[in-house]
Amino acid sequence: MKTIDKLITWSLLKSPWILHFNSGACNGCDIEIVDALTPRYDVERFGIVQKAVPRHADILVVSGPVTLQQAKRLKTIYEQMPEPKFVMAVGACGCSGGVFNGCYGVIPGVHQTLPVSVYVPGCPVRPEAIIDAVVKLIQSVEGKK
Amino acid sequence: MSEFEREEKIKAELEKHFKGSVSNALVQRKNRVWAEVETAKLPEVAAWLRAAGFEYLATVTGFDEGENLGAYYHITDTHVIVNLKVKTPRANPSLPSVLATYPGALSYERELEDMFGIKVTGLPPGRRYPLPDDFPTDQYPLRKDWKFVQPAEEKEAK
Amino acid sequence: MSKITIPFGPQHVALKEPENFMLVLEGEQIQGATVNLGYNHRGMEKAAEERTYLQDLYLIERVCGICSHSHTTCYITNVEELAKCETPKRALAIRTLVAELERVHSHLLWLGVAGYEMGFETLFMYTWRDREQVLDCLELLSGNRVHYSINTIGGVRRDVSAEQKAEVLKRIDYLVERTNYYIKLATEEPTIFARTSKVGMLPPEEALRRNAVGPTARAAGIARDVRKDDPYLIYNELDFKVITHNTNDVYGRLVVRALELVESYKMIKQVLNGLPEGPIAVKVPMRIAPGEAVNHYEAPRGEDIHYLKSNGTDKPERLKVRAPTLANLQSVQYMLEGGWMADVPLVIAAIDPCMSCTDRAVVWDPKKGKKQTYGWEELRKMAIEQYKRRGVDFSRLA
Repeated sequence: MKTIDKLITWSLLKSPWILHFNSGACNGCDIEIVDALTPRYDVERFGIVQKAVPRHADILVVSGPVTLQQAKRLKTIYEQMPEPKFVMAVGACGCSGGVFNGCYGVIPGVHQTLPVSVYVPGCPVRPEAIIDAVVKLIQSVEGKK
Repeated sequence: MSEFEREEKIKAELEKHFKGSVSNALVQRKNRVWAEVETAKLPEVAAWLRAAGFEYLATVTGFDEGENLGAYYHITDTHVIVNLKVKTPRANPSLPSVLATYPGALSYERELEDMFGIKVTGLPPGRRYPLPDDFPTDQYPLRKDWKFVQPAEEKEAK
Repeated sequence: MSKITIPFGPQHVALKEPENFMLVLEGEQIQGATVNLGYNHRGMEKAAEERTYLQDLYLIERVCGICSHSHTTCYITNVEELAKCETPKRALAIRTLVAELERVHSHLLWLGVAGYEMGFETLFMYTWRDREQVLDCLELLSGNRVHYSINTIGGVRRDVSAEQKAEVLKRIDYLVERTNYYIKLATEEPTIFARTSKVGMLPPEEALRRNAVGPTARAAGIARDVRKDDPYLIYNELDFKVITHNTNDVYGRLVVRALELVESYKMIKQVLNGLPEGPIAVKVPMRIAPGEAVNHYEAPRGEDIHYLKSNGTDKPERLKVRAPTLANLQSVQYMLEGGWMADVPLVIAAIDPCMSCTDRAVVWDPKKGKKQTYGWEELRKMAIEQYKRRGVDFSRLA
């Protein structure tokens, strides 16, 4: 592997930066994601930082069943992220639409809009599950290299 | 019943003031008054209620009763909730706006237009609410005859 | 000076749900604002008509994660009114307990978010750390930190044991101490005052005209609280004050929420120490006789109102939910106009939106024909820098 690729992979594995996107969620998963940054769980000590702009992020954390209004915008945000990038579908809604499966306002499940790398079930997800998901994602990337 | 004095008073005054335009008025329980109002008189009744101390339009609930569409206007003075029912024929649904009395009614009346197809006369032009921008404008999800069938899941997007 | 229109789009960095604001700026001052919504529309009212009353309970809970108990309790009060069932006193008391715990967690969450928007990140970390105590209480009582689902048709799902009561009271005592520190901070700290005073002004006449609810209205001196005006659950037996303030600005909203925390702790202790004996639920038939009911509830953000119509089957005929933030959004437009661009994040956060905000700001200068994109984070930093130049700097706080 070229040195630059090694460097990019090393920085991704050691310190994945996340961008959170709410695609029509009820906020339950969103507050638990933010909770993961606060003192009890504190993911920043693992190098996980929440960024504001897609161009700085490695992992796109998507919560919510994707509402019709947000689907196009979600795709745009994903396309703005530089490679290598991953998508984490958070919550029962992100995995399959959750309670909103069958509602006319949603395209249930993030996987119908974007390719998903890791699914995190729960309603809402526990912060520990989010940390576990990032760890599993990193291990799967490491395993490939 | 003397325990519903306030509610009975409002009901009686509504019936007296708008003789003929108000029907089926009843005090359902403590703090709840229901009444049916002639559609054209709605703005007048709303203005009168506001002047009588009912400062807040809590929300507007559209409904589909088959032959008629319509809406409930839930107006309150924080203690008693007065629920006004107005109907309009399904063939050509239209309601007058109460924006002049209750400026906060904007979102609720736009919702009537988007979800039921009831034309609310007197609304300023603006973006639709709450349906997405690319939702067809001739489909009204909350009408009883509008059915939704979830499309089969596409293969994983790439 | 030329006017610039900024569309604020729907992606957000910190929290919450998507919204869109169109701001017309002249220099740094906002001359006009419009609010556009609909990004979170899922189609719940339609779905509710196709599910049974019990399934709808779990659907309605997910209108909002932060105030989920408000929505289920309001809905279940409607269902029980239509079913004409006599909900046991103990169940009502447990519902009240969870309702006040929810208010505590929501206000602490808001304090943290407001601190974060101001640039005071330590406050954010402190309040969310303390909030974990409340989430522990809720998990103890119901099994989940968020979406507690303590309600069921006819009562509550779980009872409160003596050990749970002791645990909750212990944590509440800790929180009372911490809240006194926050109140001291809110009322005495000059930097917070500088950031929040005279920002987002909403005088009482405007609050009434635009139907503002909750702490937004109470900070303008309007003593409007459903718990006192149209009591539900067991609020008519509890001793508490309705907190109002008279400064009509974000500072007022901060003080109102901080003092409401104290009232909530009082109520939690009262409920726990006076839990009535009895069953926790009664059986309710699946089919509900035709009828209509309207009920409102004082959610942490304001008045939440539900309408329910039954038709004799086991599915509702029509269910309508109006969450408090929709009522407050009409006031946001008024509050933004005439203010500074730097105050936008704080003003929007001050109504405690349960549908959220902004993200991409595209500043377009028509004269120069230049476009520049600002993210929310950049806007926040810009705001903090602007205030630093005026002498308001949180990094100097111990």
